[in-house]
Amino acid sequence: MARTRHVIVGGGTAGMNAISTIRRYDRGASEIILVADERPYSRMVLPYYLKGSISESHVFTAPPTRLRTLDVEPFIGRRAVGVDTQINTLMLDDGTELPYDNLLIATGSSAVRAPVAGADGSGVHSFWTLEQAQGVIRGITPGCSVVLVGAGFIAFTILNSILALNAQLTVVEIAPQILPRMIDATGADVVTRWLQERGVTVRTGVQLNAIEDADGRKRLRFRQGEDVMADQVIMATGIRTNLDWLEGSDITINRGIVVDAHMRSNVPNVYAAGDVAEGRDAVTGEAALHAIEPTAMEHGRIAGANMAGQSQTYRGSLLMNIVEVLGLEIASFGAWDDADAEVMSALRPERPAYRKLLWHDDRITGAMILGPARDIWATNDVGILKGLVQSGVSLRDWKSYLRGNLFDVKRAFIAAGATGRLLPQTVLGRPSVAAESVAVQ
Amino acid sequence: MKVLRITPQRCTGCMRCEIACSYEQSGVFQPAKSVIRISPFEAHTSYAPYTCTQCDEAWCMVACPVNAITISPVGAKIILNDLCVGCKLCTIACPYGTMFYDPDTAKATKCNLCGGAPACATACPTQAIEYVEAESADWLGSFAAERAETQLAQQA
Ligand SMILES: Cc1cc2nc3c(=O)[nH]c(=O)nc-3n(C[C@H](O)[C@H](O)[C@H](O)COP(=O)(O)OP(=O)(O)OC[C@H]3O[C@@H](n4cnc5c(N)ncnc54)[C@H](O)[C@@H]3O)c2cc1C
Ligand code: SF4
Ligand code: SF4
Repeated sequence: MARTRHVIVGGGTAGMNAISTIRRYDRGASEIILVADERPYSRMVLPYYLKGSISESHVFTAPPTRLRTLDVEPFIGRRAVGVDTQINTLMLDDGTELPYDNLLIATGSSAVRAPVAGADGSGVHSFWTLEQAQGVIRGITPGCSVVLVGAGFIAFTILNSILALNAQLTVVEIAPQILPRMIDATGADVVTRWLQERGVTVRTGVQLNAIEDADGRKRLRFRQGEDVMADQVIMATGIRTNLDWLEGSDITINRGIVVDAHMRSNVPNVYAAGDVAEGRDAVTGEAALHAIEPTAMEHGRIAGANMAGQSQTYRGSLLMNIVEVLGLEIASFGAWDDADAEVMSALRPERPAYRKLLWHDDRITGAMILGPARDIWATNDVGILKGLVQSGVSLRDWKSYLRGNLFDVKRAFIAAGATGRLLPQTVLGRPSVAAESVAVQ
Repeated sequence: MKVLRITPQRCTGCMRCEIACSYEQSGVFQPAKSVIRISPFEAHTSYAPYTCTQCDEAWCMVACPVNAITISPVGAKIILNDLCVGCKLCTIACPYGTMFYDPDTAKATKCNLCGGAPACATACPTQAIEYVEAESADWLGSFAAERAETQLAQQA
C-alpha cells in the first residue's frame, strides 16, 4: 500500500504543530509535504528581533535539519494557488500539481493597511512578516520619529521595541480607546496615562486621511486635529486571512474556513488550522476567528492527530493575550467584553492596578488584569485567571468574597478545587512530549 | 516520576522553601524570585506552599513559540534560557499560575525540580514538601476549602 500523503500548506505555528503531531503518532509511516512561501518562522517573536534582543536566526522554527529529522519534503518559497478537491490535488504557483490524501490549510493572515492615500508610499510599513520586520529595522534610526497607526494588540507588541531603538513614538487610533479588542475603556485609560507619563504621545478617536511626503519626511493628516510629522510610519490597522487562493474551490468559508471539532472542513480530507480556521471558542461555544498563537498551536495539534488517523475532539480555544508596555503588564482572557456577564472590577489608580472578572452564575468566563510587572509577577494571578476561565470551576461562596477582594484570586482558585479539575485535562488525551523528542524512526 | 508532594497541614509558614528556592534559582535570597509560593489561610493561622505540578499537558511547553521549554531527565518542564525570548506566552498558557516572568532577566521562570534535588524539600523543616515517587495531585484543594470556611463565614 502506498504511504498516506499529507500536504500541509503554510509553515507557521499551525502547520509546524500539525507536522510534529503527525510524526508523533506515525513515526514516519506517512509522506509529509510542506508548501510554504516563507521559511518556517514564528511571527510572534519578531518584536524581539526588532528590538535586537534576539538574532534573526532565532525566529526560525524549522531549519532544514529539523525538516529532515521529521522526514518532511519541503516546497519552500512556493505558493499554493488553488485546490481541486474532486481530484485531491493542490496547485502551486510554478505549475506543480501535488496530489494528496489529506490536505491541511494553515496559511495564516496578512497585514492590511487602512485605505488612505499614501499608505503604500516609502517609509510606510506593515509589521507582520519577517521581510516587513527587516524593512522596519532598516527604517528606524536612533532619534527618528515613528508613528504607529492603530493601537491594537499587534501594535502594542512592538511598542517596547520601537522605544528601545531610541525612537520618538506617537500612537494614533481611530477608536475612542487604545487596545479596543483586548481591554475595556477603564483599563485603556490606565495604560494611556502610563504611556503618556513616559513620553509616548497617544491620540485616540482620530481618523487618518492621508500620508504625504514632506521634504523627505512624512506628514500624516487626520480628519480631526493637527497633522503629525514622522520619519517612519507603521500601519497596524488590521489583518485578513490568507484564503484568496481558495476562491472557486468547494471548501466552505465564512469568516474563516468552517471546521468541525476535528478541525475538518466540509470536505472530509481537507483540514484547516490557525488564523484561517473558524473553530470553536471554548467559552462561548461559538465559531470564532481568534488569530492568536495558542489557538493556532492547538488547532495544528488536533488537526495533525486526526490526519494521522486518531479521533481527537477539540474542546475549543480560549482567547488570551498578554502584552507589556514599559513595565506595565496587560492581559485578558476569555469573554472579557461579554455584555451579558455579571461584572466585578477594582481599580487602584496609585499602583496602577486594575482587575475585572466576568461571571455567569458562580463561574468566571472572562478576566482582565493590569499592573506593573513587579506587582504582577509577585503573584500567581495571571495564570490563575486563565485557569479559572479554562476550568469553569464553580466558585460558590467565593464569589461574594471576591466581590470585595478582587486582588485575592489565588485562595479562591485553590479552595474551589480548580487544580483537581485541571490536572486531568490534556489537548490530545495524553501527556505532551517535548518538540525535539519527536523524530522519525 | 518523583514529584513535590505537599502536605499543607504540616506547613508552618516559615518561608524557608521560598528563600531556598530563590537562592537555588537565582543566587539571591529574595522570595520574589522564588517559584514556590506560600499562601496564608484562615487569616494567617495556616499556610500552604504552591508550585508547578509538572502537569501532563505542559501548557507552558506546548505554547512556547520557539520551543524554549523541554522536559528534563527527571521529568520537570524546564526553560532553556538561551532560547527563551521573554514573550510570556507560557505565563498565560499555564492555568495554575506557576509560570513566572523575571523582569530582571526578561525571561520566563518556573520550577525545574532543581535537577532532581529540590531545594525547597530539603529546606522544609516539617516535611510539608517532600520529593517522592507519586502522581501529581491537588494537594491543597480540600485543606484550603476547609480552612477557608472560617474566613468566608467571617466575611458573611
Ligand atoms: C508582530 C506579531 C506579534 C504577535 N504576537 C502575538 C502574541 O504575543 N500572542 C499571540 O497569541 N499571537 C501573536 N501574534 C499572532 C500569531 O503570530 C499568529 O496568530 C500565528 O502566527 C498564527 O499561526 P498560523 O500558523 O495560523 O499562521 P502563520 O504563522 O501566519 O503561518 C502561515 C504561513 O503560511 C504561509 N502562506 C500563506 N499563504 C500561502 C500560500 N498561498 N502558499 C503557501 N504558503 C502560504 C505564510 O507565508 C506563513 O508562513 C503575533 C503576530 C505578529 C505578526
Ligand atoms: S508551569 Fe504550569 S503548565 Fe507548565 S508544567 Fe508547570 S503546571 Fe504545567
Ligand atoms: S517566555 Fe520564553 S519560555 Fe515562555 S513562551 Fe516565551 S519564549 Fe517560551
